[in-house]
Amino acid sequence: MKIYINNREYDMPQDISILDAVKKANIKIPTLCYVEGMDPYGGCRLCVVEVEGSRTLVPSCAVKISEGMKIKTHSEKVRKVRRTIMQLIVASHGISCELNCLTCPKATSCELKTIAEEIGVTKINIPPVEKYLPTDFSSYSIVREPTKCIVCGRCIRACSNIQSVNIFTFANRGPNTIVTTFMNEGMGNVDCTNCGQCVMNCPTGALHEVYHIDGVWNAINDPEKVVVVQTAPAVRVALGEPFGMEPGTISTGKMVAALRLLGFDKVFDTNFTADLTIVEEGTEFIHRFKEGGKLPLFTSCSPGWIKFIEHNYPEFLPHLSSAKSPQQMFGAVAKHYYAKKLGIPKEKLIVVSIMPCTAKKYEMNRPELAGDVDFVLTTRELAKMIKESGIDFKNLPDEKYDDPFGITTGAAAIFGVSGGVMEAALRTAYEILTGKELEKIDFVAVRGLNKVKEAEIEINGKKIRIAVVNTLGAARKLLEKMKNGEVEYHFVEFMACPGGCIGGGGQPIPSTEEVLIKRMEAIYDIDYDSKLRKSHENPAVKKLYEEFLGEPNSEIAHHILHTHYVARS
Amino acid sequence: MLEEKIFLKKDLDKNMKNYDFIGLKKSLEFTSEDIVKKITDSGLRGRGGAGFPTGKKWQFALSQESDVKFLICNADEGEPGTFKDRFLLENMPFKVLEGIIIAAYAVKANYGYIYIRGEYSKAIDIFERTIKDAYHMGLLGKNILGSNFDFELKLIKGAGAYVCGDETSLINSIEGKRGFSRIKPPYPVQRGLFDMPTIVNNVETLATVAEIMKYDENIYATLGTEKSRGTKLVSISGDVKLPDVYEIEFGSGTLSDIVKLAGGERGELSFVVPGGLATSILKNDELDVLYTYEDLEEAGSSVGSGGMIVVSKDHDLVDILLNVSDFFVKETCGTCFPCREGNRNIKEILLKLKRKGFKEEYKKTIGELREAILLAARCGFGQSSVNFIYSVLDKFFHEEVI
Repeated sequence: MKIYINNREYDMPQDISILDAVKKANIKIPTLCYVEGMDPYGGCRLCVVEVEGSRTLVPSCAVKISEGMKIKTHSEKVRKVRRTIMQLIVASHGISCELNCLTCPKATSCELKTIAEEIGVTKINIPPVEKYLPTDFSSYSIVREPTKCIVCGRCIRACSNIQSVNIFTFANRGPNTIVTTFMNEGMGNVDCTNCGQCVMNCPTGALHEVYHIDGVWNAINDPEKVVVVQTAPAVRVALGEPFGMEPGTISTGKMVAALRLLGFDKVFDTNFTADLTIVEEGTEFIHRFKEGGKLPLFTSCSPGWIKFIEHNYPEFLPHLSSAKSPQQMFGAVAKHYYAKKLGIPKEKLIVVSIMPCTAKKYEMNRPELAGDVDFVLTTRELAKMIKESGIDFKNLPDEKYDDPFGITTGAAAIFGVSGGVMEAALRTAYEILTGKELEKIDFVAVRGLNKVKEAEIEINGKKIRIAVVNTLGAARKLLEKMKNGEVEYHFVEFMACPGGCIGGGGQPIPSTEEVLIKRMEAIYDIDYDSKLRKSHENPAVKKLYEEFLGEPNSEIAHHILHTHYVARS
Repeated sequence: MLEEKIFLKKDLDKNMKNYDFIGLKKSLEFTSEDIVKKITDSGLRGRGGAGFPTGKKWQFALSQESDVKFLICNADEGEPGTFKDRFLLENMPFKVLEGIIIAAYAVKANYGYIYIRGEYSKAIDIFERTIKDAYHMGLLGKNILGSNFDFELKLIKGAGAYVCGDETSLINSIEGKRGFSRIKPPYPVQRGLFDMPTIVNNVETLATVAEIMKYDENIYATLGTEKSRGTKLVSISGDVKLPDVYEIEFGSGTLSDIVKLAGGERGELSFVVPGGLATSILKNDELDVLYTYEDLEEAGSSVGSGGMIVVSKDHDLVDILLNVSDFFVKETCGTCFPCREGNRNIKEILLKLKRKGFKEEYKKTIGELREAILLAARCGFGQSSVNFIYSVLDKFFHEEVI
């Protein structure tokens, strides 16, 4: 299709938006309310362009190109209108001394700032609008500051389009329009899963995690306390980003070094308990499979997914593996085993987690799990602490994890991506069930960013149907199909966030698809480069069973490593 | 001296029982295509405010392939100063109903809604009764008047939002959603109510259709000027002696003539709002403009909805501005940034003007905001929301240079 962009002729594919066409012509139109992959909203009007024959300017995100269309993307008229609108947006953003840009959670990733630069706003003639809206502190995971909200609706669309959770809505009219939760109850009192995809999609600092930074500093500074830290698999491939490193840079060694410099007494790896999870969950699957237990088995590592199923599909709760998530297994093992080993009361041992996740902050507070993990820092919070301490992260020499919870396998590393838990579990289940060594260790069918992946494998002549799902929207669709008997599986992995933990709500912003692919590739690189690639071969895990747990799914293992769920509907 | 041209206002003395529905009866003998052609030839333009040619809209609607289509009569008359639809609903509901059925038949829609603004309690009562009677009389339901045409009609009460007069917002409202505009395209004619092809027409438009279809020849096409066919109901209020709804043939008189027809001004005339608060004002020395779409446009204003407001010099202009601004701040739907934030800030500037007196910079800023809103707001309601305010500032306010 022939179109004209700024007086030059271009040949473009049919059925694409003006915005996409212009992008192909290497011109960038500023956007704010638009997010790739979600329905266009047409609210911010910053992407408007001139189209010959149109009385008004046209929102390029929402209008498709047509044959012979003549588009002007940056004419004087367009630039002037964009500048005026941008001024209005900034004025409504609630900048004041208390809400200073310096202290904003999005200080380094503020989209308003980027767009203002793209638009060329040099002065703001419109005074800021005063707003008196209380901050929502009701959630364990996420804080909402409506004064900074510009009502672009991106959180609403992330929550509904991606996650199908729908906790947000617009309320009131006109300039009083606000984003809020059902009956203004606050995020902690509605069906929020704490996944944090709203945070990832907010262009301002109106949404951010509940900070645990101060608590961690206090613990580190308390000479009475032994502070240990665990790091989740997806953190090491993203932590470099806030320091200007390429997405997908593996910075495990630098991260360990930085954590020591921050003052943690021991630096451990959640990957250790990921291996432990596989042994427990894999054993559970084998039991259910052999003895006719409830199938399909659902994975239980993603706390966003757990809360989602508790709220929306309680009838499926018996399908969930009772194994705790790796974070909680670590907390339990640390408090019940490691503290004893050190010869200190468990109250003196402080467990801190570094997670790519906001829901983990909720998980550690669940009554049935409380007490094992004391603080959860997101990848972003850790980056803040490293910066705050003046540590030159990029140039740190690599260091190694402490023993005994630093010995891990490639199977644990891939927990960080969608399909990883499934693949790790299959590596273990296959060998235990057949007693044979697995020839082809890579289950490529379950990899990649597709929201639903299916495969069939044969173990001992029996076909096992598996599925891997990421995002809660896809989870809902699959569960509905399961309800209607349209699909049948033996084992399903569910992750709440796009691409799994690499796209978690606690990861550096932005987490675009491009970034996710790089993080994913890095995770698989870690797996390939590992000496050990099967969880049940982890010698430290074996030793833990010998010294403390007995055997997988033993009574003590059940007591310490397993949990139960609550129907919340 | 200008006189009313009575075309649409005929049959004021009639009711459901003694009104003959000739337009409908004749229409049912035609094909859809014939009716659409006749309406196209009549030159009728939508009477809601935007003035889109009705025949064109119907043609587009008729060409949509779908088992289910909806026809909606837009009776959410919210434009300040406009009360001609209320006049029709209260006095000639039968003619409005007739127009609805003809339109549905013409575009092959078997389901329809009439969306009446909630404040029009009398009109709602009357039309509820009208629908009930119509079912009894075989004018609605299966095989209307013995034809093969089935049509079901429901009444919906609006909940008091100005923006729901915008057709896509109105559709959202019927679906039970928040009243805010949808992104076009797709146009409602392609995908509207419940994602089905939907035709939204104004009350006056539909009543006019009923009248046009009564005659074998196309009388309407002989009335008015080439670009402004037929007559228009003008609801005049404000500082005139006889505020009422008058039927004016396009091009038969000027704005001054219409003011005279309404008994002349009370007090000393300052300016006239020709078509509701979404249109720009014309000052007392600019009223020598013929009442047609094209002449008003050339003069920098618009026919709009036909809600003419006459304002004398006895009022404080700043108070009027603030009052109007207040309306648009309350009624902007809050979806798009230019309209929501622009109107909010315009009110702030006007408050400053009231406190501190006029400064040229106020006009400049409001002018910039108006341009952004006019060019970039999401719906027609937003786009036109600053016309009145800016035109008053432009024509009356100048900084005194000492």
